[in-house]
Amino acid sequence: MLEIKDLHASVAGQDILKGLNLSVKAGEVHAIMGPNGSGKSTLTNVLSGRDGYQITGGQALLDGHDVSELDPEQRAHAGMFLAFQYPVEIPGVSNLEFLKASLEATRKAQGKEPWDAVTLLKKARETCKQVDLDPQFLKRGVNEGFSGGEKKRNEIMQMLLLEPRLALLDETDSGLDIDALQVVARGVNSLRSPDRAIVLVTHYQRLLDYIVPDHVHVLAGGRILKSGGKELALELEQKGYGWLTDQEDAPA
Amino acid sequence: MTDAVTSTADRAAARPTPVVEPLAQKLAAQAHSLAEQTAASSDALSAWRQAALAQLARLPFPSKKTEQWKYTSLMALDAGHLVTQAPDHANAPALPEPLAPWRLVLINGRFHADLSQLPPQGVSLTRLDGSAEAPLSIAEDALRTPFAWLNSAALQDGLLLTVADGVALDAPIEVLLLGSADVASHCHTRLRLQLGAGSRATLIERYIGQGPVLTNAVTEITTGENSDLVHYRLQAEAADTLHIGSLILAPGRDSRAASFQLMQGNALRRNDVRVLMTHSGASASLNGIFVGRGSTHTDNQICIEHRVPHAVSDQLFKGMAGDKARLVFNGRIHIFAGAKGTNAELSNKNLLLSPGAEVDTKPELEIYNDDVKCSHGTTCGQLDAQALFYLRSRGIAEPAAKRMLAFGFVNELLSALPDEAVVEWARPWLERALTEAEHA
Repeated sequence: MLEIKDLHASVAGQDILKGLNLSVKAGEVHAIMGPNGSGKSTLTNVLSGRDGYQITGGQALLDGHDVSELDPEQRAHAGMFLAFQYPVEIPGVSNLEFLKASLEATRKAQGKEPWDAVTLLKKARETCKQVDLDPQFLKRGVNEGFSGGEKKRNEIMQMLLLEPRLALLDETDSGLDIDALQVVARGVNSLRSPDRAIVLVTHYQRLLDYIVPDHVHVLAGGRILKSGGKELALELEQKGYGWLTDQEDAPA
Repeated sequence: MTDAVTSTADRAAARPTPVVEPLAQKLAAQAHSLAEQTAASSDALSAWRQAALAQLARLPFPSKKTEQWKYTSLMALDAGHLVTQAPDHANAPALPEPLAPWRLVLINGRFHADLSQLPPQGVSLTRLDGSAEAPLSIAEDALRTPFAWLNSAALQDGLLLTVADGVALDAPIEVLLLGSADVASHCHTRLRLQLGAGSRATLIERYIGQGPVLTNAVTEITTGENSDLVHYRLQAEAADTLHIGSLILAPGRDSRAASFQLMQGNALRRNDVRVLMTHSGASASLNGIFVGRGSTHTDNQICIEHRVPHAVSDQLFKGMAGDKARLVFNGRIHIFAGAKGTNAELSNKNLLLSPGAEVDTKPELEIYNDDVKCSHGTTCGQLDAQALFYLRSRGIAEPAAKRMLAFGFVNELLSALPDEAVVEWARPWLERALTEAEHA
């Protein structure tokens, strides 16, 4: 589903990704871990098409199509979803209005049947409950005045409604207490299916207790240094990243 | 040519550096000639017109050298708008759905009773067409612009609505003002509303129309003691029209007045709003949304004068300018020496939707006593790139995402509109105005 080949990317003229390779197949859950400044967020930003992130080499293919040729909205229509590390507050635009516009545009582009206002409201309310968010939040401005945990749950709610084929979660676990973490994990797990893929970017092994990945990758210095199964995460938890990055820094 | 014109020309010639004088002079001469034709007619409003004509002769015509006209050129009037009168439309064009059960229709300034639903008992309607005496302007010294004087001097038709003491209307009265012409021309619209003591009313002024017609509008509102007024000034004319308007609002003792001004830019739009706080205990709230589109020009000059103690005013105006549009805002709060205990706030926030758009905004405070609470602020920004990306990443295409953010910017004002009919009008209106603001 997602094929990243020798991807190089820069931000403000600074090279961040330096030859990243990653292959994600439908049905899989991948975890990408790594120290601060390793390029984790750059990866999700490049994939979702945020301005200012420049692909300077290699390519990222979504179902065989080069994502760099797609606008952010077209990537969403193609089934990609990014759960933001820092969800944006948009005062004056209600959550429900926003969901309506998002679902209308996305479902139309995907050739899915549109939802009428009643169906939308019903689904939105149900999904709110699923992520433990008071349905009153639908009336409030998008993320406006939400706590950190509420913002993350709002991201998961959008994800569940949009039913993406490829979900990228950028440090969705950071800043969450254990209850909220479980709510988020339940939401993500409920999305797992043979025709979907999930990429979790995280600092902490903790999340992986609740969302068990098929593959774990260590990203450092803009490249995947090591890949393994779920046990790699435990190893990282014990040893830290030093033993991998030191290896990398050592003269060849 | 007449004496009045000559005397203005002489005065103009006597002034030091007449750089842009030729246009102002030419327009002044046109205005005079126009006013004189009407002022000469003999009817119940003759004295009124004559007095206005004398004022018009005394005032210098605006040029960009005048501070209040610094950002607004009258070059657009050079096509002869002041020479030709917009025609009386014998056959009424299709009118939009009313926003209220009572609607009074003016076409190019002329009242059309046959197209109107007259207001209910408790509201009297007087035509300002010379057929009956009408009191002079509520605040002659408030009519400070030559265009307002021109309106009085050349007045042939207008409406005076009086709501009797204690009458509470349960629905709005709409005045629909249609300006329409195929050639450069003008019309004058005149509207006066007087609310009696303890009364309650909502007035919706809605300006629509198309073509190169200059609507020179004057609206005067006075409210009685302990009355409640809701006022809308909706200016939704097509982009090729011109509009120069004055609004004078004088709230009575212990009264409450709320005015909502929603407008889209056109070839020339200039509004001079003057609020006279001359009665203690009065509160005035002014809100507005301005949308600039295409190469339109929108200039709003708002002046609140606190002349007596213990009156309250607040203002929130939001502007959005797309394409190559220009918005000008000048908000002035003048607190007189005796006006102790005044509470006055002014905020003007602007959003630039495109690199070619321009906003010029200026708050002005003039305060002559210490016992006041007064605040003012203006901002000018652009769409938040993070928010835009967030919406797009959820599948919302860029133009729709931008409109959504623009809506969000003014939503606090939209959702505060007290009448559902106006809200239902305003949302699609804003959607259209913003769509037009996108096009280069």
